Amino acid sequence: MTILTSFHAPTRRTLLKAAVMAVLFTPLVTSCNEKELLEPSPLTSLSDRDAFANPDRVLAQVNGLYASTKSGQFLGGRYYVYVDVRGEEFLNVTNNGVTALQTWNHSNNSQSNEPTNLWNAAYLAINRINLFLAGLDANPSVVEGTLANQYRAEARFLRALSYLNLVQLYAQPYTKDNGASPGLPLRLKGEVGSGNNDLARSTVAEVYKQILDDLNFAEQNLPANYATALLNTTRAHKNTAIALKTRVNLIMGKWADVVTEANKIVSAATPFRAATGVAHQLQASIGTVFTNYTTTESILSMPFSDNDLPGTQNGLASYYMPVIGPGDYSLNPNGILANTAFTATDARRTSLIRNDIAGDAGRFRLAKFPTGPVHKDFAPVIRYAEVLLNLAEARARLATGVDEQALALLNAVRGRSAPNAVYKAEDIAGKDALVNAILLERRIELLGEGFRSNDLLRLNQPLPAKGTIQAVPATASVYIWPIPQGEINVNKLIVPNP
Amino acid sequence: MPALAQDLTVTGKVTTADDDTPLPGVSVQIKGTTRGTTTNADGAYRISVPANARLVFSFIGYTSQEIAVNNRSVVNLKLETNSSVLNEVVVVGYGTQSKKTITGAVTSVAGDVIANKPVQSFDQALQGRAAGVNIVTPNGVLNNAPVIRIRGVSSINGSSSPLIVVDGLPINSGDVSAGGFTVNNPLGDINPADIESLEILKDASATAIYGSRAAAGVILITTKKGKEGKAQVSYDGWVGGTQAFRFFKMLDAQQYMDYKNEAARNAGLPNQFFPTLNPDGSVVNTNWYDLIYRTGLSHSHNINVNGGTKDTRYAFSLGYTNQEGMIQKNDFSRLTGRMNISHQLNKAVKLGANMTLANSFNRSPNTGTTGAFSTGGLGRLPLVLAPNLAPRNPDGSYNINRAANAMGLGNNLTGPGGYYNPLPDLDLSKFTSENNHLLGNVFADINLLKGLSFRTSYGIDNTTVEDIDFRNSIHGESGNNGLAVNIYTNIKLWNWQNYFTYNLDFGKNNFTLTAGSEAQKYTINRWGGSRQGLTDPFFTSYQGNFTTNNPPAGNFQSQNGFLSYFARLNYDFDQKYLITLNFRRDGYSAYASGRKYGDFPGGSVGYRISQEDFWKNSALGSIVNEFKLRASWGRVGNVGVGDFASLSLFNSGLYSTVPTFVFAQAGNPDLRWESSTKTDLGIAFGLFGDKITGELTYFNNKVTDLVLPEPQAPSRGIPGNSIATNVGSMVNKGVEFAITSTNIQSGPFKWTTSFNLTTLKNEVLALANNNADILAQTGGLESSNIVRVGESIGSIFAVRTVGVNPANGQRIFVNAKGEQVQYDHSAAPARRWTYVQTGEVAPAITGSDRVVIGAAIPKWYGGLDNTFTYGNLDLGIFLQYSGGNVIYNGTKAGLRDQRPWNNHTDVLNRWQKAGDVTNIPRPVLNDNISNGSATPISENVEKGDFIRARNISLGYNFKNALLRRANISSLRVYAQVQNAFLITNYTGADPEVSTNRNSNIAPGVDRNSTPQARSYTLGASINF
Repeated sequence: MTILTSFHAPTRRTLLKAAVMAVLFTPLVTSCNEKELLEPSPLTSLSDRDAFANPDRVLAQVNGLYASTKSGQFLGGRYYVYVDVRGEEFLNVTNNGVTALQTWNHSNNSQSNEPTNLWNAAYLAINRINLFLAGLDANPSVVEGTLANQYRAEARFLRALSYLNLVQLYAQPYTKDNGASPGLPLRLKGEVGSGNNDLARSTVAEVYKQILDDLNFAEQNLPANYATALLNTTRAHKNTAIALKTRVNLIMGKWADVVTEANKIVSAATPFRAATGVAHQLQASIGTVFTNYTTTESILSMPFSDNDLPGTQNGLASYYMPVIGPGDYSLNPNGILANTAFTATDARRTSLIRNDIAGDAGRFRLAKFPTGPVHKDFAPVIRYAEVLLNLAEARARLATGVDEQALALLNAVRGRSAPNAVYKAEDIAGKDALVNAILLERRIELLGEGFRSNDLLRLNQPLPAKGTIQAVPATASVYIWPIPQGEINVNKLIVPNP
Repeated sequence: MPALAQDLTVTGKVTTADDDTPLPGVSVQIKGTTRGTTTNADGAYRISVPANARLVFSFIGYTSQEIAVNNRSVVNLKLETNSSVLNEVVVVGYGTQSKKTITGAVTSVAGDVIANKPVQSFDQALQGRAAGVNIVTPNGVLNNAPVIRIRGVSSINGSSSPLIVVDGLPINSGDVSAGGFTVNNPLGDINPADIESLEILKDASATAIYGSRAAAGVILITTKKGKEGKAQVSYDGWVGGTQAFRFFKMLDAQQYMDYKNEAARNAGLPNQFFPTLNPDGSVVNTNWYDLIYRTGLSHSHNINVNGGTKDTRYAFSLGYTNQEGMIQKNDFSRLTGRMNISHQLNKAVKLGANMTLANSFNRSPNTGTTGAFSTGGLGRLPLVLAPNLAPRNPDGSYNINRAANAMGLGNNLTGPGGYYNPLPDLDLSKFTSENNHLLGNVFADINLLKGLSFRTSYGIDNTTVEDIDFRNSIHGESGNNGLAVNIYTNIKLWNWQNYFTYNLDFGKNNFTLTAGSEAQKYTINRWGGSRQGLTDPFFTSYQGNFTTNNPPAGNFQSQNGFLSYFARLNYDFDQKYLITLNFRRDGYSAYASGRKYGDFPGGSVGYRISQEDFWKNSALGSIVNEFKLRASWGRVGNVGVGDFASLSLFNSGLYSTVPTFVFAQAGNPDLRWESSTKTDLGIAFGLFGDKITGELTYFNNKVTDLVLPEPQAPSRGIPGNSIATNVGSMVNKGVEFAITSTNIQSGPFKWTTSFNLTTLKNEVLALANNNADILAQTGGLESSNIVRVGESIGSIFAVRTVGVNPANGQRIFVNAKGEQVQYDHSAAPARRWTYVQTGEVAPAITGSDRVVIGAAIPKWYGGLDNTFTYGNLDLGIFLQYSGGNVIYNGTKAGLRDQRPWNNHTDVLNRWQKAGDVTNIPRPVLNDNISNGSATPISENVEKGDFIRARNISLGYNFKNALLRRANISSLRVYAQVQNAFLITNYTGADPEVSTNRNSNIAPGVDRNSTPQARSYTLGASINF
């Protein structure tokens, strides 16, 4: 190499040096180092490395777990609809294939959207819970011990709630064979990377055992209450776990355990109320519960706001109320509406059911969830009325004759809305009559809150006929939901429902 | 420069060897010095030189000559034109190279080939021009980004579009519109008139220098630069008209009522369709095409100024075009200013800049381009809406059912469903997308040592996009309470390149080494607002008054960065034995630590046998003057993943009113680039002194590590139930052939031909989840494409049908078991499907009865260009062809759908009585199965072969004294027709169609697409 002219040599040599530097250290001289170029952080999402960075983020994750179970596909709306429309209380109006039609007419198969989407939403919530539990263990110094255990308890409460709702849909009832049937793949560890797809179904009994383990832990570690009525309704506290345990034991037919649990939060004498923790009790008027969402009757509800809505065709009002929504389902005039126990002056009929909506051809409509077109009504998960009925049923079943306390509990719920139609002891022929009256009351009181088909299943009763749809006997394959095809395709150990 | 004592003054005149016309601007340089001059307007020069000096005469487009002065005082010279294609210099990545010695696969397209065409972006004019490059205009909607595939589809989930590089700067491409129905191709911001040349890099040798972004090929755009000499001013302009062609012949009102009532009676119903009368008593008979399509007027103007001194060269231009599309309210306009300047600061340093500022405006109603099944899509509505309904009521109001947000029914008892009357949205709604786009770079070239130069270049590509979506409150897209969504996008890219080029020649050995580094950062910020419930039709914008403020629309923020090192060595011995080696190391932000860098090598060898004496002296050598063998191999990449795909992420939200974080993405830290291993074998030849030149190439691109979503057991709770994983692979192979020939050149008559042909075979080799099929969707509703191992990507997938049973008029389907079943929509639901053989009830045909019908990607394509010149008259005929593929004509399913939609007149040939042999079944109202709407059927699969007269032009060059007196040095006027004719057996609107636009896995689908446009233009080019 020769330098062109000596005059320019120094200049060129300097330039050459600069050029070599520029090529080799482009990142440095761009005033933007390699890290900034090649390791940018997303601005609207948080890296998993930073998710446990401080107590606020841990709390945000706890709220995220509630929000996950509150998916519109799950406890934000559709779960209750599916459980209700599998029963006989509702008739399909819109014939719309994306709003529970196949669930209503019992034509789901393993590829159907509804079993698939709910499974996906519930297991997504479960994995988030498991990851949170693992993350909390891996970051022990971020929140102090009691609070950390409270968060663990909330997470495990939500896991129990999720598994409970899944196992009732996708597996045979516990009461069929004491839980010997195939239950669910019981995922208890957080999942992030590839692999680990294969997991067999635990038995129904094993699933319930896990649910109760989680709830027992939750009961011990949840706080007695929170600072506000809103938090007491939207975050789990001790009584929430206890209340859910009354339901779990009722579903399992463990009547004595229902009584044990319920007695923790139901006083022996009227007015029935929880003596410790949040002072749960019935409100004077049923209507209050569906307008003021944070009374002590609402043990747990899924909250909504203008900026956090259930999503299109997920909100409860969207299913049940025309005009403000599609109103896909009307009440079956031959269902509980036709039952004489549901009297004409019952407040639950006069204030929560309408048939006067213009252009709706006089259909009966459930008006518990009246808000729209933006559906902000809270979705009730556990109400104190249910706990009273759970306890009443368990006591009634345990007794040899007519259990007076059970009758009192039943009348507490019934008498609030139909004071002229409370049952007198002499009207109840015996134990079975009392149980039947309680079951009937559940249909009236809990209508549209996600109980009907689950109640039929735990009693191994057929899903009754409605409109043009035939009854489904307990032996039919469509008595429970199919395991979704997406699971069957990838999880080589899963056994489909027959 | 003062003459020294021993110098003598030399004068002379430089002319062309062709016809002796003077050549101004020729550089006359004293060899070995920097002293020199240029010829004046008469081609004359004067220079003082040492008596023994050698003069070097050089001029672009002519072969340089070196002449010894030998004490002469007059040296005249004729320069030979340098016309041979093989002598050209071609632009390659980070440099230029002689076409003669290039060993990679590069196709050059001159800028004048694409200039002055009635298109919005240069890529639309590239169709058929280059071997190996397949370009599909999805439909006739203005500025719809064409689908560009260089040697086939190169990814499944990533992009198969080439990297676009403008004057060395890699730019952002792809639709930038984020809202409404408007399409917005940012390549439309580049004025085609500013383009000097396009180079398409195809094999690994040519593309490896672009490393991880080169798997789909690279298109290099070089803009017009200043040339030494007096300023030259030119004007180019054209005006034209645009129309749709090949409309379907739909049923008119009477045919519609007769035919549909027959279908109703066949369904066991009374007549459903009855005439509506005009005030004058005539029957309403609406041709909906008339309300939606128009003749669009377009015009374009460009002014170019070009010139320079020895040290400073400049080119600037101003361009304006305003184009009306064939569809009402579909408009495009663009205003561009470009400035390219370079200045030799001193002997060592040259500075320069290339800058374009563009404002482009796109406006489009819902044409169905962004949603094939849209009930407001203007491609669809003329095929669906009943012809016996009027668009307006006699009082002038719209014929609508406001409550149902659908067309009024007139006297019909039933209607087509929720289809809109197109007029309210055309009249009152507004969908636009407007760009301000700054594209350019500044650079310095530093001459460091003999043969060693250094370039530093900093470029920016900044685009801001304003999307406006305003929907009226009367009827249509808003669901009739009015909606406004405005979205603003700010896309910024900067790129800094530093590299050395070193030329070293010793003996017959010639080396060129290029090496350097590059850093690039891309950021995008998008935000928007949404409001609904227009309070008064007076308001026509987002800023008006609404009852409800919706949650923000379109929010998005992301970024990515590249850091790269690259090198290339070109070596030739005596321009005979040729070697090129390339290497690039790319770091990319989306991958996990430890996996950020990838290495992309490439290389090629060439052998110009024609340079050997034995060849030159042979009889063959006297005919074949140029013959080069070449081979290349290399591996390049494709990003294929989102900006943060390697990270596990938590998203934020609300639990009612309190903040949340939830696990939302399972990242894959093992992700790496999709990899494309390219192998090429080729020859290049010149015959009869390069009167005929051509190339023949075999290519094989094996793509591996394709990123696909690996399904996860849903019970694992992985968000989306899948994790992006490098699992797939496929191969594209084929042959390219290109030839250019001067067929006749005698006296004033000249005829030249260019022809190119590409064959292409794609085969999918491996997929995720044990090679599970991937089904692709059209408009989220119909699935007629499949990605299956062993088949061509996105093959057409439909239920086989074998005509109509002459006995009963029912369509015969073949189920998965191979059994023939027929469908009767008029039977009871449980008895509609029966076996043809036995008449017994059969299981219903479903999607699982579909089979692969054929490849959706053309197996061969190319172009044929003929230019005839006679004196001042020239005629160009450019044909483009393509074929070997099948198209799923879903539009045909719609045209024969027996819901209360209108139908094509071919349904009049329906089955009516036993023994009728026809392909149209007995019509039954509401039957959407026999026609293929419910599940795609092979009846609607058609061959996609076509020949298109892409462009026919006729021009005349005026050269006379009158013009010269008006200071006009030349004037050319021309007329041209774009899409003059189409030869095809395809029955849809156009076989060149892509309803799914740039989709890799759902090509070759025609679903409710608008036709293509035909344009007529008249233009003039004036040089002052």
